[in-house]
Amino acid sequence: MSSFAVQPALDQSAQVKTRLSALLVEDNQLDAELELRALRQGGFEVKARIVQDEAAFRKALKEPPEIVLADYNLPSWTGVEALHILRQEGLDIPLILVSGALGDVTAVECIKRGVTDYVLKDGLARLPQAIRRALEEQHERQLLRQAEQGLARKAAELARSNADLEQFAYVASHDLQEPLRMVATYTQLLAERYRGRLDENADKFIAYACEGAERMQVLIRDLLAFSRVGRKENESASVDCNAVMREVVQGLAVAIQQSKATVTFGSLPEVWGDRTQMAQVFQNLVGNALKFHSAQAPTVSVQAEENEKEWTFSVADNGIGIAPEHAEQIFTVFHRLHARTEYPGNGIGLAICKKIVERYGGRIWVESEAGAGATFRFTLPRESRPAAEA
Amino acid sequence: MKSTFHLLIVDDNPADVSLVEEALKVSAYAGSCQSVGDGVEAMAYLSRRGSFAQAPKPDLVLLDLNLPKRDGLTVLAAMKAGPEWRRIPVVIFSTSRLGRDVARSYELGANCYVSKPGNLSEYFAAVKAIEQFWFGPVTLPPQGEEQ
Amino acid sequence: MQTNDVDILLVDDSPEDIDLSMHALRSENLANRIFVARDGEEALDFLFCTGAYSDRSFDLPPKLVLLDLKLPKIDGLQVLQRIKGDERTRNICVVMLTSSREERDMIRGYNAGVNSYLQKPVDFNEFRAMVKLVGLYWVVTNRPPVANSVAARNAAVPK
Repeated sequence: MSSFAVQPALDQSAQVKTRLSALLVEDNQLDAELELRALRQGGFEVKARIVQDEAAFRKALKEPPEIVLADYNLPSWTGVEALHILRQEGLDIPLILVSGALGDVTAVECIKRGVTDYVLKDGLARLPQAIRRALEEQHERQLLRQAEQGLARKAAELARSNADLEQFAYVASHDLQEPLRMVATYTQLLAERYRGRLDENADKFIAYACEGAERMQVLIRDLLAFSRVGRKENESASVDCNAVMREVVQGLAVAIQQSKATVTFGSLPEVWGDRTQMAQVFQNLVGNALKFHSAQAPTVSVQAEENEKEWTFSVADNGIGIAPEHAEQIFTVFHRLHARTEYPGNGIGLAICKKIVERYGGRIWVESEAGAGATFRFTLPRESRPAAEA
Repeated sequence: MKSTFHLLIVDDNPADVSLVEEALKVSAYAGSCQSVGDGVEAMAYLSRRGSFAQAPKPDLVLLDLNLPKRDGLTVLAAMKAGPEWRRIPVVIFSTSRLGRDVARSYELGANCYVSKPGNLSEYFAAVKAIEQFWFGPVTLPPQGEEQ
Repeated sequence: MQTNDVDILLVDDSPEDIDLSMHALRSENLANRIFVARDGEEALDFLFCTGAYSDRSFDLPPKLVLLDLKLPKIDGLQVLQRIKGDERTRNICVVMLTSSREERDMIRGYNAGVNSYLQKPVDFNEFRAMVKLVGLYWVVTNRPPVANSVAARNAAVPK
């Protein structure tokens, strides 16, 4: 008694068969038989239907096969027309032309039109391999489509999530303002009414509370401004930057007068954008130039240059300047280079500028050395449209 | 020359009403001051209904927009539509800075719109400015019925 | 002056009153851009962007109109009624500043929707003080209907 059984010879009939449902478009019974036999010999377990005319073909497509084998030359229509029908129905089913003599030119033409492959009737041994390859390619196409759809879904989710976050930031900062207003005004009222009338620490404690409340108010206001940048409420139109600068200068009148500053601007263009946001950009940049002044009286100059693609605006000052290593960080939210006691503000102004400028497809940067003034530049495309008007 | 002015404050936040009253003290306002907390109460007051049967007709109304039950704009519209109230000057006093709230208020006939400031000194200054203007050089409409 | 850039439209036909008013408004640095119309027709042309002012825009109204009652060509009440009767202009703040002591005029003014009605004092100083107060209230304290400009947003309450 041996310990191993004799393995049966591996013959084709014992191979694992691949199931295949095929639709043959063929008017010659014998040819059809030969094709089916070739498939069986190639390891396919075939469930086949055979049709001869267009109507029967369309009907058969209601139960889509995995593959279509079509004769090129049929009495009333060609195999290539079958391809068009598949396309019309939106079916991604490989179509293999099985034909008698087919000139090379015709064959290439057919492939160009979208036929997956062609096999000659006297070369049917090639048929199983052609089918296998066609099915593999189809499978890969499917995987690609699924991957693309998955990606699109993820992108949509991300966009939605971003919108949610912005909405949250906006609502939170908006709704926080009211209770904060109560805290701020009433601590201020306490400070005024009870100054010197409670024990020695009370004035100090109340002052700290007031200061905290006021700082929070500015912070929330700035956060609100920041989260408003991308919102739909902003309306784009043609904005005359000269008019905007005039208003900004008027709005900064007190600061200009106090620091004995000179603010000038050259001839500025009309750009496409939201007027309020453009005003914010100019106001923040000019305001900063006034704030971070050196021992000399500040001079601020606003100019614009054009090239074919974009406008480049510049806001140049003679203030304390910025060391190059900080040039990028200053545009991040809440990033401050100085102590609060040295210069007021919470570091969101430039972040707002950057967000606005980038929303319209521009860039913003600074050219500066410590102690040598600064020039802030930003670009706006000449044909501006906001990047995402979702 | 009027002897006493009557001011009606329509605001649902008692903290704001209290602030206005404090500010009026600083402004040396010598008139009377009444407050109601929502739009329905405001209309009841103006109509002298129920507990407001003896209420004097206000010379000036300080109106917030965010009110429960009936909002400020609805009260404003009702006031400017009613022959017995439409001449009473209405000052919208609201935290809203939204362009559309401002525009809508003017459309419905508000006489002016003052934003509630976020800090004490500006708040007091705003109330003082309102009091000193409307109860100062302005010739207020007569209290009598519509002519 | 750029007629689209006007803060205050002063409508008065009395040169002395115009002088006093301009002086009062300028002294508080209230308004750099004050436009004077000396009769009702000019005021209407200005506000309705017609005639000599057809290049003006309805989108850039003055923050305040100081309107006298007794005016040549078209009187103040009619001007007021035209302003408040037209959708394009009815939101404009109109303050009537008149020497009339007639209660009838005042009632008509309020009926027509004037934002506020003031009687000009006889005394110079009182008049100037009144105009100052009016200017401060309507340009600084008040928020005008077209509230989107930077200047309007930055206009704080008097310090």
